[in-house]
Amino acid sequence: MNERILCALAGALTLTGTAASSGAPAKTIAVNQFPKEAQLVERVLVPVPSEVFAVLDKLGKPNWPDVLRPQKGLATPAGGKEQISLLLGVVIAEGFIAVEAENGEEVKNIGNSVRSLAKAIGVEKAVSRRANSIVEYAEKRRWAEVRKELDLALTDVRQAMMELNSESLAQLVSLGGWLRGTEALSTVVGKSFSKDGAELLHQPVLVEHFHVQLQSLPEKTRKEGVISKILSGLHSIRPLMGTEDGASISEKDVREIGKICAELVASVNAKTK
Amino acid sequence: MKRTFLATFAALSLLSGPGTARGTIDDALSFALEAAQGSVKEGFTVREEYWGGDLPSGQPKPIAHQLFKGNEYWFWMGTDCKGAKISVHVYDSAGKLAEDEFWQKGQKAAARIRPKRTGTYYLLVEIEKSPDERTVWSLAYGFR
Repeated sequence: MNERILCALAGALTLTGTAASSGAPAKTIAVNQFPKEAQLVERVLVPVPSEVFAVLDKLGKPNWPDVLRPQKGLATPAGGKEQISLLLGVVIAEGFIAVEAENGEEVKNIGNSVRSLAKAIGVEKAVSRRANSIVEYAEKRRWAEVRKELDLALTDVRQAMMELNSESLAQLVSLGGWLRGTEALSTVVGKSFSKDGAELLHQPVLVEHFHVQLQSLPEKTRKEGVISKILSGLHSIRPLMGTEDGASISEKDVREIGKICAELVASVNAKTK
Repeated sequence: MKRTFLATFAALSLLSGPGTARGTIDDALSFALEAAQGSVKEGFTVREEYWGGDLPSGQPKPIAHQLFKGNEYWFWMGTDCKGAKISVHVYDSAGKLAEDEFWQKGQKAAARIRPKRTGTYYLLVEIEKSPDERTVWSLAYGFR
């Protein structure tokens, strides 16, 4: 994580109040005053889609069939490995929406698409079992199990990519999932606006994380159509999501976040770069 | 979990700082997951991914993490270093202690939070005492 995010996210890190090592935790900390060797752990764990859907489940019952974007047949690999990785993330996120919509045919389609896209980037073996389980559970309409398998498919793909020294591609899978998930979340929140619902879009640490990941790609890749568009989109989304915790996200901003994410998802889905 | 990934990650982590650290992150993770067992029975879903590294005693380290209001989270920390005492606590973006409960039992520790707001939180991990100069730790989490 770069210096900017450290400064932006952190207050000041000294332990104040009771020292943590005396048993009771310190009442407050000041993150940017930690000694250099104790600065933030750089690894950001991107929440799995289930975490967001778990909250949405508690907020009410959205009209998921309206949010679902049915595929026209199998998702086919397009563009380079970067775009395929993004698309894989988008498709897995669509799987979660299909589960919420209880659309078994679409979930099966998505299971097969996951297999096809994973094959195109050399991680088919890692997800084959998951893809089979997704299709099998969808046939039995066992939605909780499908959801779990989709979470695990995402994790397995990312880990397989890291084993192939493709950490950056693994991050792009997460980013693709996040873009489609955020688009869907904006749609759901926008249709029945509430302050609590809109607050779910306040995700500065994730926007910053993805921005940093994209900036670390080779310059040639960064300048490619889809990556360049996403970098620009993240830049626009960041202030709309609220920079400080507790900041209200307006209905207009929710719509704007949804619109930007929809455009980026369309770029990922485009057959040519 | 993929053994090779864990081994690589652990090896890299062990090379990341000065001093000596024994054990690996997957050994530490097994303690963290033991700490999670009771909560799993209560319906918490444990993430497959986790954090890990090694630290000297008395030098807490923060981890920035996104939490969603409406969910409940447990964070479980573990180490395989006998005689070590570890802790994990959760702070909000302003640096205020935000957890609802915590416990520590030697090589395991945990903290639970129902976030009052959606946003960035800091998980503060610490090796409070240890017979080793540096101690390997792992942190897993679950939600419901």
